[in-house]
This record gives sequence, C-alpha cells and structure tokens, in this order.
Amino acid sequence: MATKATGKKKKSNIKVFVPNLVVFACNWCSYAGADNAGVSRIQYSPNFRVIRTMCSGRVTSGFVLKALKMGADGVLVSGCHFGDCHYIFGNYKAVDQFEKTKALVKTLGLEEERIRLEWVSAAEGPRWGQVIDEFVEQITKLGPSPFNYKPKYEN
Amino acid sequence: MDAGRHPNIEVFTNSELVKFSGNAGNFRAVVKKHPRYIDENLCTGCGVCTDSCPVAVPNEFEVGMGARKAIYSPFPQAVPNTYIIDRQNCLNNDFLVCSNCQDVCDRNAVNYDDTGEEIEIEIGSVVVATGFDVYDASAIPSYGYGRYENVMTNMEMERVLNSSGPTQGHFVRPSDKKSPKKIAFIQCVGSRGEGKEAGCQYCSRFCCMNAIKDCMLVKQHEPDIEELTVFFIDIRAAGKGFEEFYQRSLDIPELNYVRGRPSKIVEDSETKDIIVFVENGETGEINHVRVDMAVLSTGAMASESNKGLAEILGVELDENNFFNIDTKYGSPLHTVKEGIFVCGCAAGINDISDSVSQGSGAAAEAERFASKLRIEEKPREIKELDISGPLRIGVFLCHCGINIAGVIDIPSLQEEAEKIPDVVHVEKNVFMCSDEGQRLIQEKIVEYKLNRVVIAACTPRTHEPIFRENCELIGLNPYLLEMVNIRDQCSWVHASVPEMATLKAKDLIKMGVAKARYLQPLYKSSIPINQSVLVIGGGVAGMRAALDLDAQAFRVTLIEKEGRLGGRLNNLTKVYPANLNAVELARTMVERLQASRVEVMVSTEITSITGYIGNFDVATTNGNFKTGTIVMATGSDVYKPETEYGYDKYDNVITNQELENILNDSRGKIIINGKTPETVVFIQCIGSRDPEKNAYCSRYCCPTTIKQAIRLREASINVVVLHRDMRTVGAKAEEQYRHARSLGVKFIRYTPERLPEVTGKDKNADSVKILELALNRILEVPVDLVTLACGMVPNKESTGKLHDILKVSIGADGFFMESNAKLGPVETTSEGVFLAGCVSGPKDISDSIAQGSAAAAKAARFIARDTVELEPTTSTVNQALCRACGLCVDICDYHAPALVMTDSGYMAAEINQALCKGCGTCTSWCPTGAITSLHFTDDQINAMMDVLLAGKE
Repeated sequence: MATKATGKKKKSNIKVFVPNLVVFACNWCSYAGADNAGVSRIQYSPNFRVIRTMCSGRVTSGFVLKALKMGADGVLVSGCHFGDCHYIFGNYKAVDQFEKTKALVKTLGLEEERIRLEWVSAAEGPRWGQVIDEFVEQITKLGPSPFNYKPKYEN
Repeated sequence: MDAGRHPNIEVFTNSELVKFSGNAGNFRAVVKKHPRYIDENLCTGCGVCTDSCPVAVPNEFEVGMGARKAIYSPFPQAVPNTYIIDRQNCLNNDFLVCSNCQDVCDRNAVNYDDTGEEIEIEIGSVVVATGFDVYDASAIPSYGYGRYENVMTNMEMERVLNSSGPTQGHFVRPSDKKSPKKIAFIQCVGSRGEGKEAGCQYCSRFCCMNAIKDCMLVKQHEPDIEELTVFFIDIRAAGKGFEEFYQRSLDIPELNYVRGRPSKIVEDSETKDIIVFVENGETGEINHVRVDMAVLSTGAMASESNKGLAEILGVELDENNFFNIDTKYGSPLHTVKEGIFVCGCAAGINDISDSVSQGSGAAAEAERFASKLRIEEKPREIKELDISGPLRIGVFLCHCGINIAGVIDIPSLQEEAEKIPDVVHVEKNVFMCSDEGQRLIQEKIVEYKLNRVVIAACTPRTHEPIFRENCELIGLNPYLLEMVNIRDQCSWVHASVPEMATLKAKDLIKMGVAKARYLQPLYKSSIPINQSVLVIGGGVAGMRAALDLDAQAFRVTLIEKEGRLGGRLNNLTKVYPANLNAVELARTMVERLQASRVEVMVSTEITSITGYIGNFDVATTNGNFKTGTIVMATGSDVYKPETEYGYDKYDNVITNQELENILNDSRGKIIINGKTPETVVFIQCIGSRDPEKNAYCSRYCCPTTIKQAIRLREASINVVVLHRDMRTVGAKAEEQYRHARSLGVKFIRYTPERLPEVTGKDKNADSVKILELALNRILEVPVDLVTLACGMVPNKESTGKLHDILKVSIGADGFFMESNAKLGPVETTSEGVFLAGCVSGPKDISDSIAQGSAAAAKAARFIARDTVELEPTTSTVNQALCRACGLCVDICDYHAPALVMTDSGYMAAEINQALCKGCGTCTSWCPTGAITSLHFTDDQINAMMDVLLAGKE
C-alpha cells in the first residue's frame, strides 16, 4: 500500500500543490480504522488532519462549510459502513447531512468534489490509507480552493 | 480487550490448569503460568524488541503464511498487550548469546531466566471454553493439501482476504502470486465423513456460511472474477439471517453451487492449476473442473487440550473428545459434574452467535455457585483539585520508545508546544503510560496547578481510559484531558516522511490544546435502579431465565399470557438429540419455579410499560409493579399452511405439530386415522426459505423431522423425507441423520423450481410425485400420510405490541433485532431490555435454554448494583433556545429526547440522560443550536479548525 503523494524527494523546478484537508472520522469505525492502519504500518499521505467525533451523524454542514470557508482545500467525512453504525442509523443521518452540505457547497460555487463521504470500518486500515491517498490525489488535481489564500507548494 | 481491562477479571494467559479439587462452590485450582520471559508489568508493548530480533519463523496466526520473530506478540489485539519469547527459536541459549531484545528494551522487561510460576486459586465454579482445533486437511491425501501449492484451507483463505493479513488483503494464489480467476470451494473437508480418512462424522456447522462469505468477499475484492464454484453436500445456512445471506449470494452471476463431493484433486504440474474430479449429485455426470486454486472448507475438531483438562476436572468426554453434556436439564451448558459448565465449541461445534449466547449462559450458571464470592465495590474518596482561574494547560509528549521519537522530532515539538498560549508546561517521557510516566503527569498537575491536560501519545481508543483514571486519582476531573494521536495516526503511518510527520504532530497538538481550552469538567451521574427482573413469557427460555436469576437471589416476576407455563414444550413428545421427555422437562422446570421465590403470574398480559433503564413501570391485566430490567421471551408461532400440498383438501396431510400430537397420544402403537400407516412422507421447508413468505430458514424443522422419522421407522413404517437441504446443524443432529439413514429412512431432494405434488381422491391423499434429480425421473410414492414440516413465524401480535411499548427494533424477518447479530445475541439497543429464545428468530429447545441463561446473565450484570452509572458525554438542551420543533425527537433511535412542558410554561425538548448514548446526531440536526454534545461541542470542534486553518483565510 505505498503512496504516490509522499516519499518522493526529487528536486525539480515544478512546484506541486500540497492540499490541506480536514477529515472528520467517527470514533467507532473510521477513527479505529485509521488506528488499524497504524498498527499495520500502512504508509499514506500526511496532508490531512483528523477531527474525531463520536458519530458521522454529528458532522453538520456547518463544520464542513466552516472548514472550507477557512481555506481547507477539501473535507472528508468518514463513518461506519451501513449496518455497522455504533448508534444504529447514525451514518444514514450523515448521508442526509452530507446531501445538504453538497447542495450548499455547489451554491457557493465550489466544486462538489471538494467534499467526500466515505465508510471505513475498524478493520479496514489499508482501505483508510487508500481513501486518504485517493482524496489527496483528487484535491491535488483540483488545485487550491478559492478560499485558500495561502496555498502551499512544494518542489 | 474488555476482559483484559475489567477490574474484576484476572486473566492468566500462557497458562494451564494443573490441579483441581473440591466441590461446586468450593473448588481449589492450581494454575501453572508458563514462562513468558517478559515481565508483563514492565512491558509497554512498544515492539522495539521485535524489530531487533534476528530470528524469523512461520507465523501461527497467519496459518504459517507470514513470518514472526522469536520475540513477538501473537496477534495485533492480544491481551495482555505484551510480548513473549518463543525459547525454542530464540538465539539466547546454551550455545549462542544473542541478547538483542534485552539490550534494546528500555524498560528492562526481558528476563531469559523466567521459569513461570504456579498459582493456587479458590473458585466457585468453572466454565470450560476450550474452543476447537482445525482439522488437518493433509489427512485426506486425495485432496493434495500440502502437496499442491494452490490448494489452501478456509483458515488460510481468511488470512489472505484479511486486509491486515500476510498479503495485505491482496488476493493472490500461492504459486505465482497472481490473482486467481477461477476458484473452487470444497465443503465438508474433514466433516460429515464416511470411512477412515474422512475425518469426523459430525457437521462442523460454520463452514458453509464461511465459504459463502468468502465468495462474496472475493467478488468484492476482484469484480472481474470469472468462476466461483462451491462443491457441497447440503448448504447449511441455518442461523439468523444466514439463509437470506445465502440467497443474496445467488445473485452473483459467477457463483455456482454444485452438489457433489469431489473424489480427488490433481495439479497440472505445468501451470500449477488445480483439477477437481467430482460427480455432480444432481445430474450424475462426472466432471473435471479446472480452476486456478481450490479452497478446502476444513472442519473443526475437539480441542487437543480437552483430554488432559477433562482428566484434571474429573469429567467425561464423548467419542469425539468433546465434553459430555448432562442432558437432563435440556441445556447445552451443564457437564455431569456440578459447578462445571461448558460453552462454545468445547461440547460440540457452534457458530459465533450461539457461542456467545452459550458463553453468557454459562456465566449465569456459574454465578449461582460464585455469588457468595461477590465483590463489594468501595467508592474512592478523592478531593477534587481547584481548577478555577485562568487556563493552565500542560502538554505531555510521549516517545513511546522509538515508536514516536524515532520518526517525530520531539524537541522541536516541545519547542512549538511551549509557544502555544495558555500552555504553562511541556513534559516529555519515554513511556507516558508507564507507572513512571503516570506519576510524572500527576506530579506536574500538582506542581504547575494544571487545569487542562493534553497528552500526545497513542490512540485515545485504547489509552484515554488509562490516562483519565490517572487524572481522576489525583483529583483532576477526567474530562479535562484531551489525547492527541501522534503514534497510530502519525508516526506509524508517515515514517517515510519524518518532517511531514513532525509538522502534522505539531498541528495535532495545537488542535488538541485548542479543544482543551473549551473542555469542561463533567460528572458521571448515577440513578438508582430497581433490582428486579420481569420475564415476559413462560416458555422454556423464559422459565430458564427466571430460574437462573432466582438462583442468584434476584427478585423475578414471570408473566405468561396462557393459563399454564411451558409454552411449546407442552406440545412435544421427545426433545432431540437426547430424546428427553418434553413433558417431564416442562414439569421439572415448573416444579422448580413453584419451589422458588419467582413470582409467577399466568393468564396475565402486559398492558403498558413506561420508564427507562433500571426504572420501568409495568401495568398488567393482573396488577401494576416496578422492575429494573426486562427479559422478552415471548417465543414465536408455527407457520400455518394454507393450500400447500393439499393441506386444505386432504385429511391425511398434516403438519409436523399435528404428527407430534398423534405421537404424543399413541403410546406404543402408532395409529393414524384408525390404522397404522404403511408409508409416511415428510415435506420440508413449508413456510420457510421462501422469499415470498418467509425468507429465513427455521432451523428446527430438519432435526425435528429426523426425530419423528426415526420414531416412525422404529415402528416399521416406511418413511420418505423430501427436502431441499438437510440442515442438521445442532449438537448430535448429524449423528441422528446418519442413524435415520441407517434405519432405512429415504431422503429425496427437491428444488423450489420443481415442487413435489400431492394427489388424491376425495379427502384422502394417496400419492406424492417427485422429480428424482439423479435419476431424472418422476417417482410416484404411494402414501398414507403426508407431514408438512412447518417453519416458525414471528408472533405478530405480541412482538408488535412489545415493539410499540418498548421500542425494540424489529428486523425484516419480523423477529426482534438483537443489538449485534454476532456479539450481542440476547441484548437489544434498549438498555436493560433483553431477548431470549425464539422471540429473536427460530431456535430449538436447547438453543432457547442457552439463551434463557444468557439473558439471565446479562440482566444480572445490570441489576447486581443498586445504581447505574451514566456516562456524562451526552447531549443536553438549552431550553431557552429550543422552539420545540421535535426534529431531535424524530431522529433519535434511542428515544432519548422528548418534548416536555417547561417550568416557564412553554414546550421544549428534554434529553433523558439515561437513554442518550452521546452520538451527537441531534446536535447536528437542531436548527436553533439549542442542543450541545458534551465533550464534542461546537465550540471545541470549531476551535480545532480555527487553529488548524489559521492564516489560510
């Protein structure tokens, strides 16, 4: 499970955009899955920061929009697979919230690919790494968010 | 993990029982702890020793496919979380002097001279849960396991498909590491055997579902798989939700189920492909099936350790080396020796869900001998520290040996942390979770008058409880602590880019401090509970639960709708597999109930239940009372056939219950309609396994038919059983099936596409037509009696009513849903409400009894204390902001919020702290911001984003 975005230290003049991502992970599945990635020593992109919530249903549109407004290039919300939710149907409610958020993001004129909803279970460490890598790649392609006034570039 | 952390559970791993004496309630046991060569109290599980070890040997946990070191942790979630040295492979011995692990261990935990110890303990009762051993597939030479690279077992397959397995979840075949396109699964390897080399005679029960699950997983992993073939005898999807799962697997176009037991497997020596020789049981053709790899569904054997253990305990084993059950209680948990119980695979093969039920059930039985050893918990009295005044935050950085410090630049982290406003002290230590680290935290809290603590170390999921307790001991409210995960989610996963990892750790610490600024002390509240149990339903499960709870001296009320106790047991003759007299069993249980302190109320129905966890008000047709917990054991109904197979037309087409009644009445001679019948035909799966009616398998009907068929056959009556799959999965059920065949009972398979046809004249059925698949001919069987094996259906009236009253969810099958299908089979999502028996799905007598005991254990655990402690991280409503829209009430699956009239005379939401689980979903749905999720407040989360994204705006 090697990552493409990290590890390379080639000097060149081409500057590469380094995205800045906020990830909301539910305590029971996704956060545990991220821990599992650690235990399995999966290596993946470090260009994200996790905020732990108890349930993905806790993640309001407000949080996501705030992150975007403050210059996050992308926001990932990650919960349990359907049927796996610690709070029975919290992840279904996360879907409802996310649909709302998506509509608002579009209204703001942002690309809807800047936000993403994923399910990662406590045992899916490798998948966690994959999801993060994919999302980092997706946002790198999109480029910096228009709200990000100080995007970071790297050689 | 829970058991390892529990204050009242002492775990001896790597240990063995060596001496045992005494009587139930007063046993003495000597436990030999084998040397671990590592001091459990010193080891922090950092893993540096493993990295230093030069020896690599096959990893048992990966079924030999991966490698491990000579100093190792057996598997990732091992309890205790310490390492062990395999001295046979260790290079520190008489000839060699490697001491790498001792040299690198900062905690000096390695001791090569460890000799182990013997510990004598006093115990009240014993639960044997020795599990099973996997059948050695190489004992069947014709399948070539061990000789052909691309023949693997289901256990190996499990590891290969596991994302943390030896291939990191990449599905490849062993010979060329290419992903296979054609896979064959071969069932019953070592199970249901005939002859010497075929293993055991019983059914190993879990392998069918395991193969189906593996097929689904393979299809998920490799969407372009070409062929998945399962060679089987019967698909035994007999368990809650199992048949539905099997039906779903039929939607995979690449997946074929082929009836037939392969005679041999050979390898194409050039391509290493596998060729399976099999006679198709339906067409009779001999096929050579070429696949990329074959998976042998190996069965389970009794644990090798059973022999020695049984001798020490003084109990007997059966012919398969499983523990012998004392059948007189109808329960699968009792050995013949009082005070010694079995569960799981110690007495026969069980799947996970049944093993869990039996585990809880055995706990209830064990408690009756151990209840006098009950521990009184003493509350700790600690003076709370004064946290008033400006913020004084302490940041503690853990090196975790080299796990964190080896990647992240700790000094620069310290420098950065010291610059954060409100941080008054930064401390670092090699192991913050060690005794020394914990002491350091306590000292610094006092020295610097810290009122918020941030610990940057591993994951809060494992270590927050430890650090919280540490804060509590010194008097700092445990909820003023925030953990920052710089190991599992930082140093471990970004080891290849250390600067980036350091940068990330700095951000995470800033975010942790930002959250800590908004942390508020929270207090666990406790509410008194009514230490009594209400058991609803006086069937076998309900009676068992009531008896077990009474034995532990709890106050129990048992309510039965009918005029007498016993439930379905009253309608049965003999109970399989031990041919226990059902009436006798019911009578003993009723007599014991009458002699007990259980308050039995017959002809009584529940009219309403209100209240919450620990405090329910119950109204019945026979008076009102209070209770702390509820066990629902209302059972199920039997499917009533309508026009199937002429049930409405012919008098001699009857249900299996009607046959049971006839067998019950006819002592000795079997007389049906005035004469002894010559031929009786059974038709299986009436009202079961039918997506139109009930998609599930009712599980009890196959063994019941076998029981009745044997009874009829013993009276020299010809018996023909028409079935789809014989699902004899219970204890000794396969043996009974074999016995029935040896007596001459005929078994003919039918498919749902070609159902048998019953024809007759007037009110009398005289023949059954069935397409015999192997002969490809329609057989006509003249009959005197047709018996329809009817499945179980949920009792809609009682489940519906209890659902309305208690809000316990009902599944798609109409039965009550357990909190977790595998791990919580008798618990519901409503705390203090439990399930037992058929109320949660079809079960036989023995499984129902085990669940009765299990529910008793779960209820006892709840009411053993007179109060229940409530986690304070719940949601609360600021009623001044609430406009009573009711959204929170609608979305909460736990029914915690409710609209109430406030003291000021307006409607507002109120959240019952006893029901709230703290998910915070209502907070995110509240349109006015009136709801706050404590410990995950908007302020806290926003503050984290503020520091993280500062300067971007």
